[in-house]
Amino acid sequence: MKDDRNSAAGTGRSRAGPYAWAVLACLGTAAAATPLSGYLDLANIVMLFLLAVLLVALYAGRGPAVLASVLSVTLFDFLFVPPRFSLAVGDVQYVVTLGVMLAVALITAQLTAGLGRQALLASRQERETRSLYELARDLAGAVSTDQVAAITERFVFDAFGMHALLLLPGADGVLAAAGGDPGRLAYLEERLAIHAYQHGEAIGVNALADTGQAVAYIPLKAPMRIRGILALAWPDGRVVGVKPVEALLSTIASLVAIVVERLHYVDVANQTQMQMASERLRSSVLSALSHDIRTPLTALVGLADSLAVMRGGALPDDAPDTAAAIREQAVRLNGMVTNLLDMARLQAGKVRPRKEWQVLEEVAGAAVKLLGRALAGHRVTIGLPKDLPLIEFDAVLVERVFCNLLENAAKYSPPGSAIAITASVNRGLVQICVTDEGRGFPEGRQEELFGVFIRGEQESSAPGAGLGLAICRSIVEAHGGTIRAENRAGGGAQVTFTLPAGSPPEIEEEPETAPWEDSA
Amino acid sequence: MTENPATIVVVEDDRQIRRFVRSTLEAEGCKVFEAETGRQGLVETATRKADLVVLDLGLPDIDGVDFIRDVRGWSDVPIIVLSARSTEGDKVTALDAGADDYLSKPFGVAELVARLRALLRRHARGGEGTAVTAFGDVSVDLSRRMVLRNGQPVHLTALEYRLLSVLVGNAGKVLTHRHLLREVWGPSFVESSHYVRIYVARLRQKLEADPTQPRHFLTETGVGYRFQA
Repeated sequence: MKDDRNSAAGTGRSRAGPYAWAVLACLGTAAAATPLSGYLDLANIVMLFLLAVLLVALYAGRGPAVLASVLSVTLFDFLFVPPRFSLAVGDVQYVVTLGVMLAVALITAQLTAGLGRQALLASRQERETRSLYELARDLAGAVSTDQVAAITERFVFDAFGMHALLLLPGADGVLAAAGGDPGRLAYLEERLAIHAYQHGEAIGVNALADTGQAVAYIPLKAPMRIRGILALAWPDGRVVGVKPVEALLSTIASLVAIVVERLHYVDVANQTQMQMASERLRSSVLSALSHDIRTPLTALVGLADSLAVMRGGALPDDAPDTAAAIREQAVRLNGMVTNLLDMARLQAGKVRPRKEWQVLEEVAGAAVKLLGRALAGHRVTIGLPKDLPLIEFDAVLVERVFCNLLENAAKYSPPGSAIAITASVNRGLVQICVTDEGRGFPEGRQEELFGVFIRGEQESSAPGAGLGLAICRSIVEAHGGTIRAENRAGGGAQVTFTLPAGSPPEIEEEPETAPWEDSA
Repeated sequence: MTENPATIVVVEDDRQIRRFVRSTLEAEGCKVFEAETGRQGLVETATRKADLVVLDLGLPDIDGVDFIRDVRGWSDVPIIVLSARSTEGDKVTALDAGADDYLSKPFGVAELVARLRALLRRHARGGEGTAVTAFGDVSVDLSRRMVLRNGQPVHLTALEYRLLSVLVGNAGKVLTHRHLLREVWGPSFVESSHYVRIYVARLRQKLEADPTQPRHFLTETGVGYRFQA
């Protein structure tokens, strides 16, 4: 990388300068040595010339030093070697002197110039290391990607005179400029940035020079994944390669990548903490609410109940009926509150099904028993296939689904009509239907009814808040199933929900149990 | 019960609930002592020599489950737990800690009285079930290991019979899945609750008039089973 910059620097000043100095140095040495030629041995005059070559090599570089070598040998031969003022050589041994002198001068020139270049390289590297260290230190203090972008931009501009832009993926995964002004990168080609981001390979300016896109795109490779793109461009849009500084740029890119990743995880940790705090709050509000509402309702139900069963003539005749009515209303209110709280819990995502392998018939039967009097006017049948396998679900939640569906069926179908629960297994799904003989769902609104606070008939005399089906849907979906409502061809409503069949656990049969005894 | 009134301690922080529980129990001829906090309840239970404790799980000062463990350290007095629905986990914990039964809030007078009577009767007999239990068209004679339906013997496998005898022997009481697994299958099966479900289903097939809507082998969803003659 030095070559380019040196030659670039060289073009700035006069290219002939060092050579002129070389010539001057040789002439000066000759001039200084001439008066001394009477006193000094020729070998020592050779030394003076070699000193001049060394100095030229040290200060003017290799080219001038070579010139100085040749010139020194020529001047020495011309001015000092007898016969003087002639290039001819009198004594054969001077040929050796001249040959050795040229060789030593050239080697000195070569070595000294190389040394100078290495020193220059070392000091450059030291500067780079120091600046990278400073960049790392600045980045370590950054607390936002905007700051990272600003620090990177400033650094790249100071070091290379280039504009830099950080492109980071947003929450939606789309790359967007972080902090900087995207207008500065007039040549930004989004397609290339995305390609570099997705494939994790740098797209250099050299490859793009032909297309006139004077921009480089370097992926920010962090330990976990690629965190974004560092895009670079010359301020004037010129097409010059970044090849010489590629290694340094990729070091910068990985520094930035690590910082961006660190910020990402800080962000994730903060969000998790906030989410946990808000979930804790929500759950404690819900359970406090649940306790505070249930306690007076329990008292209300119990007190009304004890009034209803009270014997003795102190109360008017219709008091027990009134008390029973109060009780019934309180129980209904409790049902609604339970629905509301459950819906809040389900929507807050707080309810995680506690799945166990269940006998479906048992849960359906428990729901029928739980509803008790509400179903008394209907003929409820549970007709499940005898070979229905165990199904994995949360019994309490699925019991709620059955309760809500049975309650709806009883509410919207005439007394004495039949309500049926049936099931079938089909392609890895257990399909469970609750059907009634009522007037069915309002046509075309079946899907809507699963929304929160949606009721089939707005001003229905049947009580309810429009939460039953919404709760069913939340529960079924939490189990990875679906639910739909339809009207049966022969009249009546049918709600069908599915649960994944899964692979039920093996049952170890008792050794002494013969198969025929099971059906005894 | 009236000749020798049962002493009952009600531990509940809400005054109105205490009031109606008290009037219900007194109408049953019981002697009732109230406690507003868990600590007070422990003192009352010990000093009044309670025959039964009605315990609210949501007490202000101590956890209901700790209350039960504490009492079980020195007494086998029956405990009925009061708890909100949709907290099945809490009920199971309370039952496994040693509670005998539970009531879901809100509950009515009839339910409270039924649970109370069943537990007092069991406790008066010293926890032993009677040798012969009859329900529906079935009679179970635990002393002779005989199960008859309509006078005909019913064949049960060894495990089915063991499950039946545990359920019938604890008639009226709710038994958790874990408890049944430990009693019938042994401690290594306590996580395989589907065994209980399958065997209860088999008992229902053999002994219930309508196995889909059982009247004796009752499901307490999320908690366990209760046998009711």
